[in-house]
Amino acid sequence: MTRLSVSGVTKRFGGITANRDVSFDVAPGELVGIIGPNGSGKSTLFEVISGFYRPDAGLVRLDGARLTGLSPDRVCRLGVARTFQKLRPFAGLTVVDNVMIGALTRTRDVRHARAQALDILGRVGLGEKAHAHARTLSTGQRKRLELARALATEPRVLLLDEVTGGVDQRSIPGLVQLVRELHRGGLTLLVIEHNMRVITALSQRIVALYLGEKIADGPPDAVVRDRRVVEAYLGQAYASPPEGGAR
Amino acid sequence: MRGTRAALACGVLVALAPLVVRDAYLLDGLILILLWGSAGAAWNIAGGYAGQISLGHSAFFGLGAYAVGVLATRWGASPWIAVVVGAALATALGSAIGFLSNRLRGPYFGLATLAVSQVFLIMTSRLRTFTSGSEGIPVPFRPGFWTLGIADKRVWIYLILALAALLYLVELYLERSRRGYQLAAVREDEDAALSLGVPARRLKVAAIAVSAALTAVCGALWAPYVGFVDPLYVFSVDLSIRFALAAVLGGLGTALGPFIGAALITVLETYLRAHLGGLGGGLVGIYLIIYGVALILLMRWAPQGLLPWLGELRRRWAPQETAP
Amino acid sequence: MRAIPQLVVSTTLLGGIYALIAVGLTLIFGVMRVVNFAHGEFLMLGMYLAFWAFTLVHFDPYLTLVLALPLLFVAGWISYRLVMRPVIHAGHNVHVFTTVGLSIALQNTALVLWTADSQFVRTSYYAHVIRVGGAALNIAQLAAFAVSVLLTGALFAFLRWSYTGKVMRATAQDRHAASLMGIDTGRIFALTWAVGVACVGAAGVLLAPIYPVYPTAGLQFVLIAYVAVVLGGLGDMGGALLASFVVAAVEVVGSYVIGTAWKEVLYLLLFIAVLVVRPAGLFGQRGAETVGA
Repeated sequence: MTRLSVSGVTKRFGGITANRDVSFDVAPGELVGIIGPNGSGKSTLFEVISGFYRPDAGLVRLDGARLTGLSPDRVCRLGVARTFQKLRPFAGLTVVDNVMIGALTRTRDVRHARAQALDILGRVGLGEKAHAHARTLSTGQRKRLELARALATEPRVLLLDEVTGGVDQRSIPGLVQLVRELHRGGLTLLVIEHNMRVITALSQRIVALYLGEKIADGPPDAVVRDRRVVEAYLGQAYASPPEGGAR
Repeated sequence: MRGTRAALACGVLVALAPLVVRDAYLLDGLILILLWGSAGAAWNIAGGYAGQISLGHSAFFGLGAYAVGVLATRWGASPWIAVVVGAALATALGSAIGFLSNRLRGPYFGLATLAVSQVFLIMTSRLRTFTSGSEGIPVPFRPGFWTLGIADKRVWIYLILALAALLYLVELYLERSRRGYQLAAVREDEDAALSLGVPARRLKVAAIAVSAALTAVCGALWAPYVGFVDPLYVFSVDLSIRFALAAVLGGLGTALGPFIGAALITVLETYLRAHLGGLGGGLVGIYLIIYGVALILLMRWAPQGLLPWLGELRRRWAPQETAP
Repeated sequence: MRAIPQLVVSTTLLGGIYALIAVGLTLIFGVMRVVNFAHGEFLMLGMYLAFWAFTLVHFDPYLTLVLALPLLFVAGWISYRLVMRPVIHAGHNVHVFTTVGLSIALQNTALVLWTADSQFVRTSYYAHVIRVGGAALNIAQLAAFAVSVLLTGALFAFLRWSYTGKVMRATAQDRHAASLMGIDTGRIFALTWAVGVACVGAAGVLLAPIYPVYPTAGLQFVLIAYVAVVLGGLGDMGGALLASFVVAAVEVVGSYVIGTAWKEVLYLLLFIAVLVVRPAGLFGQRGAETVGA
């Protein structure tokens, strides 16, 4: 039983093929990490899955239902939520109002949405900041806000784009712990991450992309040692010889 | 909540005015403030709440005015029916323009709406068959409520006050309701809103359609009050700017803002007319120079409008009030 | 059939003049990402400049042009510093209201100072017509065309080959990167605005002998310019140039077929059609939708 299935997704922009025939499945409750050097098509993949881009080929399905071709808001209502790499809080609104926008997708009642929002803010550790304006938050707090907002839509699958990017070292473990708790709560997650330590610690499985293609798909230890992955990140000279490798 | 109490107070004052004030000139001023305030509030629905700055709302106003002009003169129909017809036509046009808003951002939407209003201006002032061309259409005065032939300004005050109240309530709804929150998200960051399940496109179209319909209602009530529909005025760019200015001056995206803005504009115009009336045609030019300069200064110092600016000042000057 | 040479000649002459206006507008958009709603008013001011110079000191418009260019440039520079600079970093809505405000203020200042009456610049050679092939050329139109081509050419050359021109193009492509490279984007914006104003003001001076001069004269020309600019792709100078001729063709052929009274409706509908169907313009450059970029 697959929660999210990505099959044969190809996306071109003029002369550049950002995603070339990318396929993988995500089981319910799985946490899959997506890695790859810059330009490998990770964010494009998220844009395709969440409905912001229409792929030139391929399909994305959520619990069997087709997502490709639907508008982003429909995709969200069907159960896929996401965060953005470049944070996009609703700067003119308060923190709780921000989260309410997400909650209002699931409930019509403004008061109920507010209660939900406050609850989620508590869970992500932003309870005290509920009535502050979103623009007064630090980067780490904004990351949590973005997460809280997406969670408020009660997603079946959550796409996290660079959750630790730009966050100071001390705040990282807290964020990682949060993601882990969400995972333990049964949420299916797809996480793009550059920080190798974070991603190998969190993921049950890693999909590696390079120049638009999937080059590896498996448990973290295996993928990290995969020849093609090392080559992609560090160049051919560093690819470890087939028998054994330094670690 | 403070804003609503102030609005209620103003509403009560206005309602009491006809009982106290006899001067027709003052009553006329009050009616115009309420009317332009309502038109500004209607514009505000699209411009302030949905973030779609239209520079062609006179198209809708004119549509309403012409609906009354044509239906009342040609077919002797009651202006009330024309109000409904005008609103329906405006809703259709507004929806089409709403569709445009999904393809065009910012200034392009402004340009497109401007172009639409100018098409109406040219067509109505050139086509004689339907709309009497540039001569305009006089709205016949037939005494009676049903025909909106009301000579007593005091009755007009209540009528337009009802319109203003309706618009105020619609604006309040947009501030407090689920759709209102969603619209706020759309105007802050449309893509982020989409990613959270907000049906941004539909909401924008709906907001513009509602804004259009209500603007048309304003035009349809204005026509019998003033008694004459002149295409060069009713579809003019100056009028479109006036609606936007009322909202921008008073407070973009606030419920009371457009009324405050309209009050300031009307008071200014009345004052200028009284003191510089001798200039004749040049007088209109003077108001407009002031509006132009006002827009420039507003954008520089208080782009959100006076009410939010005053709110900011208050916050900065009285932080001690909130300290323990 | 017989009308073709005339249509071609008229299109060419008109297109050249429209190009001067459009190119200034698209330059401002390309470098500053601002749609200048007041562009037409600078054209109107150019027209009045020619009119007053002609009426008061009997300067021929082409002489006025020489003096007007630096004058208009300075006026542009000043209007940038006073009006645009304080809000240049604000959002699009602020820009819209600011330039709309400027437009209204300028238009109505002209109205109050000089009344709504149409004025004319009747030079002695005004009515002189040259016949070439099957077409008649009005000498004022020909002169306007020639000078427009010269000025437009000079602008393109400036942008292509001068250092400052390259800096302007760099700023247009990526203002953030440009400022990181040490380019004073504030100065570039002021320069761009001033150049844009000088171009459209010059067009006004050139048009004064041909068209009536009144406070809202700028409107019809700037509308055409917007159509050309959108059609050619916002910020695309070459596109604006080509599109100006396309629009001139539509006007000339349209007037011939439907009559001049409906000209404006024609442009307006064309404009709306382009915005609806292909906001990126015929040549598919930067899209109108990406104004936020």
